[in-house]
Amino acid sequence: MTFWTYRRRDNLVGYLFVAPALLGSLAFVLVPLGLVGWYSLNEWNVLGGTFEFIGAENYQRLLADEKLRSALVATAWFAAGLVVLNLSLALLLAVLLNQKLRGTTIFRTLFFSPVLVSLVAWTLVWQLMLQPEGSVNGLLGFLGVDGPNWLRGDTTAMISVIVVQVIKNVGLNMVLFLAALQGVPAPLYEAAKIDGAGPWTRFRRITIPLISPTILLTSIITIVGSLQVFAQIAVLTQGGPGTSTTVLIYYLYQQAFQFHHFGYGATISVLLFVIVAALTLMQWRMRRKWVLHET
Amino acid sequence: MTTLSRLTALILAALLALTACSGSATSGSKSLRMTVWTANEAHLKLLNEIAAEYKASHPDITEIKFDSIPADGYTTTLTTQIAGGNAPDLAWILEESAPDFVASGALAPLKGKIEKADELVPSAVRLWEKDGELYAYPFSTSPFGLFVNTSLIKNVPARWTWDQAIAAAASSKGLVLPDFKYQNWAVLSAIWRGWDANAWSDDGRSCGFSSQEMKDAMSFVHKAIFTDKAIPGPGTTVDFFAGNAAMAISQISRAGALKDAEFTWTLMPLPSGPKGDYAVIGQAGVGVLKRSKNAEAAADFLGFFTNEANSAKLAQFFPSVRSSLLNAETLAKSNPLIRPEQLQSVVVDGISKGVVKPSHQGQEELNQTIRAALDPLWKPGANVSAVLDDVCTKIKPLLERK
Amino acid sequence: MKRKVALYGLLCLLCVPFVFPTWWMVTSSMKPISEIFSESLLPSEPTFATYSQVFRMQPFGQQYWNSLYIAVVVTLGTMAVAALAGYAFARIRFPGQNVLFVVVLTGLLIPSEVTIVPLFQLFQSLGLTNTHWPLIIVPIFGAPCVLAIFIMRQFFIALPPELEEAARMDGLGRAGIFYRVALPLARPALGAVAIFTFLHSWNLYLEPIVYLSTPDMFTLPQALTQFVDNYGGPMWNVQLAAATMTAVPILVVFVLAQRQFIEGLAHTGVKG
Repeated sequence: MTFWTYRRRDNLVGYLFVAPALLGSLAFVLVPLGLVGWYSLNEWNVLGGTFEFIGAENYQRLLADEKLRSALVATAWFAAGLVVLNLSLALLLAVLLNQKLRGTTIFRTLFFSPVLVSLVAWTLVWQLMLQPEGSVNGLLGFLGVDGPNWLRGDTTAMISVIVVQVIKNVGLNMVLFLAALQGVPAPLYEAAKIDGAGPWTRFRRITIPLISPTILLTSIITIVGSLQVFAQIAVLTQGGPGTSTTVLIYYLYQQAFQFHHFGYGATISVLLFVIVAALTLMQWRMRRKWVLHET
Repeated sequence: MTTLSRLTALILAALLALTACSGSATSGSKSLRMTVWTANEAHLKLLNEIAAEYKASHPDITEIKFDSIPADGYTTTLTTQIAGGNAPDLAWILEESAPDFVASGALAPLKGKIEKADELVPSAVRLWEKDGELYAYPFSTSPFGLFVNTSLIKNVPARWTWDQAIAAAASSKGLVLPDFKYQNWAVLSAIWRGWDANAWSDDGRSCGFSSQEMKDAMSFVHKAIFTDKAIPGPGTTVDFFAGNAAMAISQISRAGALKDAEFTWTLMPLPSGPKGDYAVIGQAGVGVLKRSKNAEAAADFLGFFTNEANSAKLAQFFPSVRSSLLNAETLAKSNPLIRPEQLQSVVVDGISKGVVKPSHQGQEELNQTIRAALDPLWKPGANVSAVLDDVCTKIKPLLERK
Repeated sequence: MKRKVALYGLLCLLCVPFVFPTWWMVTSSMKPISEIFSESLLPSEPTFATYSQVFRMQPFGQQYWNSLYIAVVVTLGTMAVAALAGYAFARIRFPGQNVLFVVVLTGLLIPSEVTIVPLFQLFQSLGLTNTHWPLIIVPIFGAPCVLAIFIMRQFFIALPPELEEAARMDGLGRAGIFYRVALPLARPALGAVAIFTFLHSWNLYLEPIVYLSTPDMFTLPQALTQFVDNYGGPMWNVQLAAATMTAVPILVVFVLAQRQFIEGLAHTGVKG
């Protein structure tokens, strides 16, 4: 037998195939992440040019930081609002588009179009439209509603940021749901109809379970994505009014880039990473419970 | 999209700093780099003319380059360039970051290099001095004034009181503070100084927001916005320079924006407050970075840049603090848009008597904290006193930090 | 019939917030600045002056090209890396496979703000700041590629093993099987990856800001932020004109190719 058995050769090919991705992960993800961990143990005074090991001091500061606590609360609201609104709207749109109607392609195109508009352009447009005399209130005024100063109220600012983000990206989830819906075998519905199940029951008992893997995937992507929403908040509200929309990533940016507390910024980064990882792990674990089938 | 451009500058700057590597500019040939926040063609033309003249007499200087950094986020870009080992040789510095720069020791001493340093107006130099040494030359000292659209409001007196001004604004198209945007709170000092209010004490240790003077002043501002509707509320954009507002509180350096105005206008000193007449100025200094390899040459160029002749040229854009130049006739030569008596009352009197906008070490964090704490004030029915007390609670730890 | 009308009505209503911003962006870019906040749906006197201003203020054509070629190179590179790695993780058994997959997946969990500083230091030390290299290399090999790898893996996992068995019988090696059999079948998944990747690169905002400093190197999202007057005030109508030019071509391409586009996306292997 030669040394290069099929299995050995196969192993080698496997390593070769994953090598680019793996080396990339090492160089551009893991090593930088390790460095961020190291920075978090130091006091890095960017202005003074000093870099000094201080052990867990930044982490102690993290525990006592009231602004951080309010940032966590804002983050939780933001993520929850975003995920709930995004997934339910995506599902609603997908169900509507899945009806046997002429012209759904046009609507599908329209709902998807914001995904393609560059984020900066999108946010800029909404920033102008959400001003007190902007088009949003203009449209509302047309309906006889006196619109608020969206970006200046604690609650309305949060709602605005969520809605702007959802409308931008819901098209992606919609398409994924649409594909999943089209994969649900029609005979199942027929059978349920014969058993006397109404539309709502059919939706709950057949549709939801069958598309649960898609729900899982979209919810993971959306939650993780919601923790990374930065530029939109920076443009629309700058974390205000007060600190009502200062979410974790924005607070991180302020500390590291605006106030030059870079060591502390790194500490917040580490916290952010832990939260994202924990959430993802939790959802992945939960899939056994509520995801019907797995390949 | 100012926010985005500010972000751009901030992030870029911070990162430059964070690299903190030693790679500094090449220095074999002596070339100088000065960071400026203007990208205005006329400004840069004048700067380059002065530089060319200097190079002609100093063959060892091969290049003098003016690097325009966007005004939004300028300071962060600059400070972090310095920390990142990419320091310019000379830099414009805003008044609000003067304490950070002067105290940090990032600047080289200048006193010996400045021509006739003793004729500089003392009140305008204070911010840039430490222990009797001058660390930056205040090349631009620009008082706040009240611009009035006289196509809209006729018969203006020489000076209003604040009550009269607000009443006039309320009955016309309103008063705007173009740079305020309900974020840059320091601009409000142009109002609250009339009540003798201060953001903090002179030593910077104790908070002034909860003082009675401040509460009176801010109650007045609040009333002007939400009750009298004399100042446009948050989020509304009204452009005085396009003729959409009756008055504006702005620095006189903005007069250039009125060159092609389709309305008539006048410039008045700030209205007098309950505590009488006052003036507030915004300032900019130019300093030499200690870390520059050509610090000596840079300081020498700065001496030339700010000598009497060049100060006179610069004064058409950037009001000078040399007392020999600080008179209406000289100023009028370079400011054809503004009448001599206006220059006297706003510029000359303003610079000699004015108080500089508030500044403190750690300014950016203070700015953000105060901005956030003041937000609840900008709605109808706000409890002014409670909000201001809260500002003090929030910034106390920052003021007490060394 | 009634149901149909109701459904159309609902769809039309829901469309408004999706369509109106784009409509507003396009029309307002043709308005003079004083009309931006007016209620009118159409400019009273459409002007294209703002469009020529865009090109006068920035090397906008160059910036357009920068964005375009970077996005294309990143898309092609990512497709290659993701197809290889996705295939190996799905179809080849090798020791340490699962651990390595988890290692790669970490990239999915990291917001780019978190690692941007060390990455910047890396490229600064290589002398590659103010070049397009970081914007090309990091997306192809780093965190942004992970979603693509994941999509490809999910697709290859669902591929029936019989196909490969047959190819192996015919004497094809691993590489041959991948290239001749698996890859052609993966066209829809590759299409999805291409779309995701192109959009990601096209929209990238933070990274260009960090790495690029001269206007002729800028990419479009970054260039959009540069249209300000002498006092740093935003020139809204010019910004909107530039924004329109970045958005409309993509939208047109999308409308023309939307069937392949969306069906490609639908094949992201989320069934697994």
